Amino acid sequence: MNGETDDLFAVVERELTIVSRTPAYIATAVGFAAVVWWLAFASSLTGYVPLVADLLTPVEVLVPLLAVAFGYRAIQADAASKELDVLRTYPLRPRTYVVGVFVGRATAVLSLVFATLLVAGLFVPLFGPPANPVIASHGGDGPFGAYLRFVLLATLYAAVVLAVVVAVSAVATQGRTAIAAAVGVFVVLTVGLDLGLVGALSTGLVGPDALRYLLALSPNSAFRGLTLALSVRTVEAATLPLSAVLANLVGLSLWLVASLVLATVTVWSDPPTERWRVVETLDDAGGSTARSAETPDEPSEPTAAESVDSSTDSSEDRPPGPSGAEGSPEN
Amino acid sequence: MYARYLVTALAAVLLVSSGVFVVDVDPGEGPSVVDFGDTIRMTDLTQAEQRVVRERGLAVPRAEVFYSRYRYVVGHEGLASLVTELDRDGHERQFGVPLSIYVTDYTDAELATGEDGFLRVTGGDTDWVAVENAAFVVDADARHPGGPAVVPFSERAAAERFTDSFGGTVVDWAGLRAHPFERSELSVDAAERRAADRNAWADAAAADARSLTERPVSVVVGDDAPTLAAAIEQAPANTTVVLPAGEYRDVNRTVRKPLTIRGAGVNETWLVGDGNGSVLRGFDARVAVTDLSIRGIGQQQARPNLTVDTDAWDAQVLRAYGYAASGIEFDDAAGSYVADVYIDTPTNGVTVRYSDGVVVEDVRVDGETPWREGFMSTITVHSRMVVQDSTFVGGRDGVYMHLGDGTVVRNNSFDDLRFGVHEMYTSETLVANNTATRTRTGVVVMTLPEDNVVARNHVSDSAVGIDVAGRASYVVENTVVGNEEGLDVGSDRSLFARNTVVGNEVGIRASTLIPTNVVTANDIVGNDRYVSTSLGPVRIWTDDGAGNYWDGAPGVDSDRDGFIDRAFQPTGAVDRHAGSSPDAHVLATSPAVQLLRSQEGTLPGLRSRGVVDQAPRVRPVRPGAVAAALNATGVGA
Repeated sequence: MNGETDDLFAVVERELTIVSRTPAYIATAVGFAAVVWWLAFASSLTGYVPLVADLLTPVEVLVPLLAVAFGYRAIQADAASKELDVLRTYPLRPRTYVVGVFVGRATAVLSLVFATLLVAGLFVPLFGPPANPVIASHGGDGPFGAYLRFVLLATLYAAVVLAVVVAVSAVATQGRTAIAAAVGVFVVLTVGLDLGLVGALSTGLVGPDALRYLLALSPNSAFRGLTLALSVRTVEAATLPLSAVLANLVGLSLWLVASLVLATVTVWSDPPTERWRVVETLDDAGGSTARSAETPDEPSEPTAAESVDSSTDSSEDRPPGPSGAEGSPEN
Repeated sequence: MYARYLVTALAAVLLVSSGVFVVDVDPGEGPSVVDFGDTIRMTDLTQAEQRVVRERGLAVPRAEVFYSRYRYVVGHEGLASLVTELDRDGHERQFGVPLSIYVTDYTDAELATGEDGFLRVTGGDTDWVAVENAAFVVDADARHPGGPAVVPFSERAAAERFTDSFGGTVVDWAGLRAHPFERSELSVDAAERRAADRNAWADAAAADARSLTERPVSVVVGDDAPTLAAAIEQAPANTTVVLPAGEYRDVNRTVRKPLTIRGAGVNETWLVGDGNGSVLRGFDARVAVTDLSIRGIGQQQARPNLTVDTDAWDAQVLRAYGYAASGIEFDDAAGSYVADVYIDTPTNGVTVRYSDGVVVEDVRVDGETPWREGFMSTITVHSRMVVQDSTFVGGRDGVYMHLGDGTVVRNNSFDDLRFGVHEMYTSETLVANNTATRTRTGVVVMTLPEDNVVARNHVSDSAVGIDVAGRASYVVENTVVGNEEGLDVGSDRSLFARNTVVGNEVGIRASTLIPTNVVTANDIVGNDRYVSTSLGPVRIWTDDGAGNYWDGAPGVDSDRDGFIDRAFQPTGAVDRHAGSSPDAHVLATSPAVQLLRSQEGTLPGLRSRGVVDQAPRVRPVRPGAVAAALNATGVGA
C-alpha cells in the first residue's frame, strides 16, 4: 500500500509539474480569477450572502469551464503521446494512475477556485459600501461563515466536474474527440441536464415531487441546491429540507466516484500485442515522445500537441490500434 | 515530494474550513435590541402627533423588527403600523421574514392617562420583550395621538391588571396579528374614492359659500356711508356692503359680523392699505369678499413676539407664518368666502386661521419676485379650506397649509413661486388638477402626514415636480414635464401610479430608506435619467405583476401579456442608458450582463441603491398624456 501511495504522489507531482509549466493553464487560471473578481466587484457588495447570490450563476458556468480547460487533455494527452503505453509497462495500477492524475489536477483547480472565491469574499469588507452610521444595521446580510460554505461547495463542485472531465479525457483518446467530448460535457453539465429536467417536467414525464431527487443527479443543480440550502437561506432562518441536502450530496458523490471508476476501467489499453506495435509507431513519432516517456517529470503537454497528428496519422495505418482504449470498457 | 505537502496542505485547509458546516451560521434568535433612535422609523403618528407626544411626555408603545433580508433595524412607533406592515402584499419580497420582533414591555411601569386620554408612564421602567412572549391589551380606553394604544406586557398578569383600570382585552401575538386594524388600500380606486369624497365636500362648501353673495344690499359706500369702516359699522348682519368703483384708502377695516363686501369688479374697486399690516380682516363666521382688488399691504412677515394660546411647537409656526400682514385675514371666520379678488402683496395674500370651510376661488395673487422677498399667497392655519380656480404668480408659496387637514386645492395655476402647494403637518388633503410652472417644487408635502391625495396635477419647468412625504398617500395621474426632477418618492406605504414623467433631468428620485411604496403604472419617458436613488436598499417597483413603462426598456414580450419578459433596472449600469442609446440594448442582452443581472431582484433588502422593475410595460399607460407631454417639451423621438 505504501508503494502505491508513493506511486500516486509520483503521478500527482508529475501532473502538478505539467500544470505549472504550461503557460496556457496559468493564463486560464488568471482569466478565471479576473472574471470572478470583476463580477464580485461589480455586484453591490453589501454583504456576504448577496455576494453568494450574485456569484452563484457565474460560478456554475465558470467552474465547469475551468475544469474542462484543466482536465480534458489530462489522460488524452498521455494516450496521444503514447506515454500511457510506457506507463502501463511500469508497475503502476490503472486506479493509481487515474486517481493520481485527478488529484494532481484537482490540487491545482481546487486551490484556484478556493483561493479566488475566498479573495472575492474579502471584497465585502474591503470595498463594500459603508453601513449608514446613523441607522442600526444587524447581521441580516449573512455571516462570513455562510460565504465560506459557498466557497467550499464551489470547491466540491469543481472536484466533481473535474472528475467527469478526467473520465471523458480517458474515454476520448484522440485530440479531436477529446475537445469535442469536453465541450459536450461542459454543455451537458451547465445547461443540458437542467434543460432535460425542464423538458421532462413540462411534458409531464416527471412530477414536481420527483424533482428533488432528479435535481440531485445534475451536478450543477445539486451544487445550486446545496448553496441555496446551506448558504443563501441562512439569512432566511428557514428550516432546510435535510433530504434535499443529502440527495444533493449523494448525487455529487456518485458523479465523482463513477467518473473516476469509469476513467480507471478505460485508461489502460490492452492487449500486449498492440503495445509492441505502438512502440514501433513511437519510433516514427520522433524522439520527443520518447524523451517524455523516459522523464515523466517533464511537461508533456506541448509535446503532446505535436504528437496528436502523428498518432492520428498512424491510426490510419493501424485500424485496430488506438481504438483499443475505447473498445475495451470491460477491462 | 512537494506534491505530498501540497495535497496534504490543501486537504487540511479544506477540511478545517469545512468546520463551517458544523458551526451555526443561522441568524437564530436574532440580535438584541438596539437604541431606538438608530432604527428606521415606521410610525402610526404624523409629525404633528409626534410633536404632541414629545411636548406632553406621552407613552407610545414601540417595536423593533430585525428582518432576514433587510439590513437595517426597523422601529415602529405604535403597534398598528407593525401589524399592518407585516401583512402588506410584497412585504416579504422586500424585507424577508422577521427574525425577531421586540416590543415595549410595560410590566414594571406605572401607567396612567391624562385628561386628553393619552397614555403616560408615571413611574417605574419600561423594558423590551419578544413578541412571542408578550401579552397585548387591545381596545383599551388608553390612546396615543395616532390612535388607540395597543399596550404590551411581558407578564399576562400585568396585562390583566391594566385591563382592570383601562378596559380592553388581553391577546397574545397571534391574537394581535388577527386584530382588525385600519389598513390603507393602495390602489388607484382607493385614491379616486378619496378624491371623490373630498371633491364632494369642496363642492358643498363652495355652493354654501356662494350663497353669501345673495345677501341683500344694505349699505353702498359713498351713498349711505362715507367710508368702508363706517359702512361695516352701519350694515346689519347678513347683508351686503357695496363698494362702487374707485380707490378706498381708509383704515380699520375689520369685520366682526357676518357681512358680504362686494366691489364693482377686479381693477374697478381698489382697497388700498397704508403699507402697514393687513388690509381687510374678517373676525366672524361667514364673511364674504368679492369683486375687488387689494394693494398696499404691510411688510410684516414673522411675528416672533406674538402671544398665542397653543402648544409651543405650534405657536412657533404660527408666529413664523400665520400672523403675517395679508390682503385679507380671517380668524375664527368659518364658512367665509373670497371670490373674484385680485391681491398684490409683498407678504400673504389670504390668511385663514381657525376657520373651517373657507372658500377662495377665482382669485389672483401677485407676490414678490424673487420668492425670497415674498410670502404665502394663501395660508391656512388650523383650518380646512378650499382654494380653487385661482392664479398665483410670484411669492413664496401659492398655498401653504399648517394643520389644514382635509383642505382641497384644485384647478389652480401657480407660476414663479418657491412652492406651488406646500403642506405642513396636514393630512387627508386633495391637491388636484393644478398647474405649476417655474417653481422650486410644484407640490410638496412635508412632515410625515398621512392620507394625502395628489392627483392630475401638471408641473413643468421646475426644480422638482412633486415631492410627497408621509405615508398612506396617493400620487396619481400627475404629469411632470421638463423639470430637473420629476417625482420625488419620499414617502412610505404610499401609491405612485399612472403618473406621466416626461423630459425631466431625473425622472423619479427614490429618497426613502424604507422601501414600502407602491410605484406602478407610471410612464417614464424621455428623461435624461430614469431614476436616481439615495442610500437604501433596492426598491422593487412592480405591483402585483405589473410595473411601469420605461421608454426603451430592452427585451421582448414573448407571451404578449403586455409586459417585457426581462426585468428592467433603471438605475443599472447598462439599462440606465437604454432610453437614449439603442446600443445599450445590444449590450443589455449580452451574456455578461445576463450574468451580472442573474440574481437581481433577489435579496433586494440587502443590496444598495437601486430600483428594479420586474414587469416593465410594453406600452405607455396613458399614451395620450405622454404624447402631449412630448409635444410640449420637444423631446419627441
